[in-house]
Amino acid sequence: MGHAQAKALGVPALPIVAIDHPFGVRSRDEVRAMAEKAVDDVARVMSGGGAP
Amino acid sequence: MSGTENQAVRPAVLFETADDLDAINRLYRKNRWSDGLPIVPPTKARVEAMLKCAGRPRDALVARVAPAFGAATVEGIAINAVMAGCDPEYLPVLIAAVEAATAPEFNLQAVQATTNPVAVMIILNGPLARTLEVNSTFNCLGEGAWANATLGRALRLVLRNIGGALPGDMDRATQGQPGKYSFCCAENEAETPWEPLHVERGFRADQSTVTVVGVEGTINMNTHTDKGAEVLDMFAQTMIHPPSNEYIFGGEPWLILGPEHAATLARAGYSKADVKARLWQLSRMPASLLPPKDLERVQNARRPELGEFGAEAMLTISPRPEDICIIVAGGPGTHSTYAPSFGMIRAVTRVVG
Repeated sequence: MGHAQAKALGVPALPIVAIDHPFGVRSRDEVRAMAEKAVDDVARVMSGGGAP
Repeated sequence: MSGTENQAVRPAVLFETADDLDAINRLYRKNRWSDGLPIVPPTKARVEAMLKCAGRPRDALVARVAPAFGAATVEGIAINAVMAGCDPEYLPVLIAAVEAATAPEFNLQAVQATTNPVAVMIILNGPLARTLEVNSTFNCLGEGAWANATLGRALRLVLRNIGGALPGDMDRATQGQPGKYSFCCAENEAETPWEPLHVERGFRADQSTVTVVGVEGTINMNTHTDKGAEVLDMFAQTMIHPPSNEYIFGGEPWLILGPEHAATLARAGYSKADVKARLWQLSRMPASLLPPKDLERVQNARRPELGEFGAEAMLTISPRPEDICIIVAGGPGTHSTYAPSFGMIRAVTRVVG
């Protein structure tokens, strides 16, 4: 979805941090762990490290 | 194909093809420019005829349509209207529908990209619905009326072709529903015992409006009782279903009442506000019907509204009684429809023209 939307919006090379889907069936702790991992990936992308 | 680029507001692109309907439809099929049904080729002549009824310049930007945020110009909308088979006189209705569907409270990004089957339903009110012969009576949610079928289809084509919501791409619907082909009717204002929807929402009776609603589907409610209280009991029992976005998010349930049920309620002394208030009470659902994981979702989503609660709570279907929405439509018969909403959405009404 993120890649498709980035392409549609004219920025196909936008670095995207992907989160596994679905997360609706996961526990709060699992979702929190996913979020913490995503924060690290976002930081890496924003500091020029490229998509994880 | 609209030819409108996603970011720039540009005139439509012209394609040269053989003057052959089969070849043209093969082109549209190959490029996913249709909804899966054959289209009316949007030739220059047909689009020009459509634009004569626009009432606005062809390059006027009506809206950006999520999730691609493509530019819905008057021309782009007109092209999709031709493809759907609309009469040119329908175009102002479609333009108003696009304006309504892109209003922030409609939450179109979520509607378009969700795994939920939500479809966009169009409801017409006012004199134009009668002029355009939008069906509000027998089979008004079914097939058979040109205006209903083509207007609903045209909005779907706009959402696909300009909004970029292609199944499996940015439309992530797990299963979808038939209403995503076309979903449009008018309120049966001649038969409603109450004020019609657009008057209830602040418009004059002589104004023509279009209302867009995000609904998960239709559930028929057949009861032969002639007692108003029993009609409401039956409706409420239908509305209570645990796997519903309404209860998770605090929704906006829609009831499309057949004229006979509406008359039964009116004879029993219920105003439309009375019906809403009573249904809001009767449709409270024990939170204990939800498995723990779903109860947790409701708690997370509705904590700001309801505070802390557990499995002993009785969940309301919507934050307020007035969030329950009612129109009267259909012909004779003891049938009404519950149309569960997407939940995190509010219907939007716009004046046509």
